[in-house]
Amino acid sequence: MKIIVCVKQVPDAKDVRLDPVTNTLAREGVESIMNPYDQHALEEAVRLKEAHGGEVIVLTMGPPQAEEILRLAISCGADSAVLVSDRAFAGADTWATAYTLEKAVKSLGGADLVLCGKQAIDGDTAQVGPGLAMRMDIPFVTCVQKVREAGDSSIVVERMMDDGYDVVEAPLPALLTVVKDINEPRVPSLKGKMRAKKVQIQVLTADDINADPACIGLPGSPTQVANVFPPQARGERSILTGTLDEQIDQLVDKLTPYL
Amino acid sequence: MLKINEEVCIGCGICESSCPFAAIEMVNELPVIGDTCTLCGACVESCSVEAMSIEVAESSGVADISDWQGIFVYCEYRAGVLAPVSLELLGIGRKLADSRGVKLSAILIGSDTGDAADTLIGHGADAVHRVDSPELASFSEDSYTKVLTKLIQDNKPEIVLAGATAIGRSFIPAVATTLNAGLTADCTKLEIREEDGALLQTRPAFGGNIMATIVCPAHRPQMSTVRPKVMKALEFDASRSGEIIDVEIAAELSTSRIKVLESVVSEESNVNIQEAEILVSGGRGIESEKGFELIRNLAEAMDANVSASRAVVDAGWITYPHQVGQTGKTVAPKLYVACGISGAVQHVAGMQSSETIVAINRDENAPIFDVADYGLVGDIQEIIPKLIRKLEEKRGA
Repeated sequence: MKIIVCVKQVPDAKDVRLDPVTNTLAREGVESIMNPYDQHALEEAVRLKEAHGGEVIVLTMGPPQAEEILRLAISCGADSAVLVSDRAFAGADTWATAYTLEKAVKSLGGADLVLCGKQAIDGDTAQVGPGLAMRMDIPFVTCVQKVREAGDSSIVVERMMDDGYDVVEAPLPALLTVVKDINEPRVPSLKGKMRAKKVQIQVLTADDINADPACIGLPGSPTQVANVFPPQARGERSILTGTLDEQIDQLVDKLTPYL
Repeated sequence: MLKINEEVCIGCGICESSCPFAAIEMVNELPVIGDTCTLCGACVESCSVEAMSIEVAESSGVADISDWQGIFVYCEYRAGVLAPVSLELLGIGRKLADSRGVKLSAILIGSDTGDAADTLIGHGADAVHRVDSPELASFSEDSYTKVLTKLIQDNKPEIVLAGATAIGRSFIPAVATTLNAGLTADCTKLEIREEDGALLQTRPAFGGNIMATIVCPAHRPQMSTVRPKVMKALEFDASRSGEIIDVEIAAELSTSRIKVLESVVSEESNVNIQEAEILVSGGRGIESEKGFELIRNLAEAMDANVSASRAVVDAGWITYPHQVGQTGKTVAPKLYVACGISGAVQHVAGMQSSETIVAINRDENAPIFDVADYGLVGDIQEIIPKLIRKLEEKRGA
């Protein structure tokens, strides 16, 4: 089974914050990490490979420094890594990103299974996975919490729903987006780390994947950011005072209107 | 593209610090724009000498924007139930439609939809496009995508709204991709720009640390998924009238490559914490599975639903669908009671839009108190039983 895992380098969100006074990004100490959901997608791909054979290719679109997460992916069990990188991709929204990834997957000769994280924690859109599947014209299942069976021609998975879950069968090739419940990602092995250091990462440009310049980056993006601003600060906190019993009485009064 | 007039630029570097995406670097006293630029325009506004401007290439799509009129709301219907967010969307959809002077249409896809169409009209829809077929009984990404795409192609609405639910966030992106439409996920605010009638879509990004307003200048329809509980539904009005249009669709549209073998409804009822009015949420400070019983008891006393922080889910005391936060669900109930939750950014991102937040924690320096409206410092094991007793006394009285 040939599995392509799409990953994204994201800023560690716990460090990202707009200064409400200057409206600028507090950027000291913002580290880049592999999107947490994508780590689960990668882990699932490696487990499928270990159980059924095949290969795992990890794919990202991003600036040259996104190579870091590709090496991390190699150290966690991916066989090869591809970086789609070009200044022309800058400013891509989810439509243009899905377009670009589809071109890249095609130039890699397609896949039996494409795995993505449910969403990236910077944009939180969850739109690229389904968009990519549509462009590839393959079935997709989102929010997969478990792979039950993986055969040569089909896969049976559990899809998390708001009221429980559905057991869903999809023919291959297919695309799945996964939630973190699906597995516990492994830490890089020593051998993996050694391999990650040496591995050659394939870099593809817009030309390499035959991308139409009108469909990539900002020109290819239907949506545009009109404004960015810090969220409204919450009102002053009210600290309850007195003995514990008095505080609880006050709290009960505050809660009563809601009950 | 972002243009810099090098002759006018004085090299002050204000744009560098104004950039929310850290995309500008001053090199030899001139700004150099990096890959992370989203053309948000923050630098253009910050520049005191007007050396920066944004040029947007005219798209070939601009000409036919005026062909697209009216507002579609996808109203999620599953196993005999209309998702509450559907009615909320009709509420905001009504406002947008009135402000644009256009028709508001509800889209109902499913099987045995009964009187759901009348409910949608009573909640504000001028028309309901109903696709009722046994093949659409269970949700499947590809058939739902094909059906909704066809309805949009045939009717050309300028705006399409859907709930940011598991279903909405699953197939709406596929619809947008097929239509070459712009889609903004998980919006918390929608309004019409007066000058040109464009839809302004505001959403949180970076785990709620930044708000961004998105527009879709040259493509139609403008599509958004909207968080549950953020918009207000209109009161049901039985006297409201509207047209129900039964749409026959070609068999190939309702067939799916994906087979739903089984639907398992969670044993814990009301697992959908995103639709809850009140949530009682437990964190690491609960200390044990037995301790978590306290949370369930408090929830029961308050007629609330139970949620949890990541630590509690990871410990296995409650299942993942109950997790609030960045890698769980984003919730915005009327009341959120955080018990033994320290308030890590990842958790706060998932609950800070709650109307009222109560925090109970032993550590008075816990960051949860920064977002709480009411804070109580102390031992949960002592506080919660007392709180339950007093709530019950109050109720009994």
